[in-house]
Amino acid sequence: MAAPAIEFSGVTKVYQRRLGGVPIAALSNISFEVARGEVCAFLGPNGAGKTTSMNILMGFLYASSGRSRVFGYEPGDVRAKQRIGFLPENFAFYRYLNAEKLLQFHLRLSGRVLDDPTALIASLLAKVKLDSYKGLKIGKYSRGMVQRLGIAQALLGDPELLVLDEPTSGLDPAGRKEVRDLILSLKAEGKTIFLSSHILSEVEQICDRVIIIDRGHMVRTGTMQEMLAEDNRVEIIVDQLPEELELVVKERGASVEREPHRVRIAIDVAQKRALAEMLWAGGCDVISLTPIKSSLEETFLKLVTAGGAQ
Amino acid sequence: MNIDTETAGATTTATTTATTSATLFDQKKIRTIALSTFGSFLRNKVILLFGSLFACVVLLMMTPLLGFKAMTTASNAQQMQGFILNEVAVVVSMVSAFGSLLAAWAAADSVATEMKSGTILAVMARPLRRWEFLAGKYLGVMMLMSVYVVAMLGVTFLLAWLGGQSFHVSFWTLLAYPMVRYAIWAAIAMFLVTMLHPILVMGLVIVLATLIQIFGSTASHMPNWLRLPVHLVLPLTNLISEQRFLTITRASLRPFPWTNHLTALVYGLDYALVCFLLAVFVFQRRSLSRD
Repeated sequence: MAAPAIEFSGVTKVYQRRLGGVPIAALSNISFEVARGEVCAFLGPNGAGKTTSMNILMGFLYASSGRSRVFGYEPGDVRAKQRIGFLPENFAFYRYLNAEKLLQFHLRLSGRVLDDPTALIASLLAKVKLDSYKGLKIGKYSRGMVQRLGIAQALLGDPELLVLDEPTSGLDPAGRKEVRDLILSLKAEGKTIFLSSHILSEVEQICDRVIIIDRGHMVRTGTMQEMLAEDNRVEIIVDQLPEELELVVKERGASVEREPHRVRIAIDVAQKRALAEMLWAGGCDVISLTPIKSSLEETFLKLVTAGGAQ
Repeated sequence: MNIDTETAGATTTATTTATTSATLFDQKKIRTIALSTFGSFLRNKVILLFGSLFACVVLLMMTPLLGFKAMTTASNAQQMQGFILNEVAVVVSMVSAFGSLLAAWAAADSVATEMKSGTILAVMARPLRRWEFLAGKYLGVMMLMSVYVVAMLGVTFLLAWLGGQSFHVSFWTLLAYPMVRYAIWAAIAMFLVTMLHPILVMGLVIVLATLIQIFGSTASHMPNWLRLPVHLVLPLTNLISEQRFLTITRASLRPFPWTNHLTALVYGLDYALVCFLLAVFVFQRRSLSRD
């Protein structure tokens, strides 16, 4: 069986401080796997240890203990790096180069031998909408343009695995949508994507799996479906709700939210049939009856807040 | 960032004709890093300052030289010749010492800047080994120093020519000796910068150079128990100085057997290699992130 794209097993990272400073545990016993072809979000509040984990994954940092592998190789092994495209957080470039020269430099380092490297570079620059700025020095780029260039360089080596640390950071809404579409198209090509982001609505749209960490500890991991699991409640939308009926509904433990042309009623799933029949009988037109799912943001906040409270 | 079918198609076409090289040692990548490092030096403000200072020193020293030359008459020719050659010797020594500082600074800065700015992350995310990165940086520094050595040689010959002297010495010695000396200083600085801040590295390099001068001139008076460790630890840059066989003040070349040249240069290269390997050893184990 092929090794998973990413494997973390009991990874701990402690930053040792010089001159007797208190050591800081950035990661504590983190374990997870990312299968090939999966789009996995790595979530956590600021300082949770996401970037530290990504740096360990790329071989920039060494774990204090535990085991990590990328396609079965040690992080930092060139055989692993040949298959990775990486976008660091706050990507820094040689400011005196232009986009074309920078991509040429990275292409040479990637070891890819192409018949026509300029065609690939031109297509990537077009893909990230920087083709009209290819002669401009990177030092004069805006934050969003630098981020786009970072995405182009991550795609340069035709990687099997993309590690993206805050890929939509610094981008405007249109740019964010374009990156989202790009990730979806890469997903369709079968690429494995491991990304961190604070924009959970986007993560919800593109990711298959989610890993949540907080203060260096694993909080939860699961598929997106599991994360957005049903809340054991249903929402019934009716056209109107007489006041006498509202009292009865509330006595059954339901919550009622009135809107201009409809009323939303949320109730425990066990009572949905009885309540729906009562509403019909009471002359209300039931427009819809849907299970309530919590959003990723709600789940995330619940988990992180609970962890923080503990 | 439209993902239109046309550009996606172009990417696919380019990709299908691609092959990825996966050799154990890729000199193309080292060369790429070296050329990029050299290119960055040519845009570096401190290097430009070094270059300007170099030009200023040469121009400044040419003034008295030309003055002596103009004052030379039949009666004081020998005395003036002495002044001129002394001056040439001073300039050459200054420029040479300047080069050592430049080599150390360039090596320290080339690594430290990448770490500080974070550009190293994108570079090291490529299939590049840490030692290959360091080797590329080191080669880039040596490319800069080769330009400096050629310029230094040009200045030496220009000043000697202005002074009415010519050196009867083969070119390779005037190129090889300073290059090996600068290779040592660059390797020392590269080793130190894998652990320390570049400013601290430069401070240590200056201390080291001063110690070499002190111990170099007092080596014969040192007790044996001190002489051996000093010789082992400190680079004997005096040994790798072209001034050992070239006496500028007399514009003459001392007889020097080729085996002597060989051992002196091999000693220097060996010292540089040891320092470089130490740098690789430390760099291999350190964190590359800005955390």
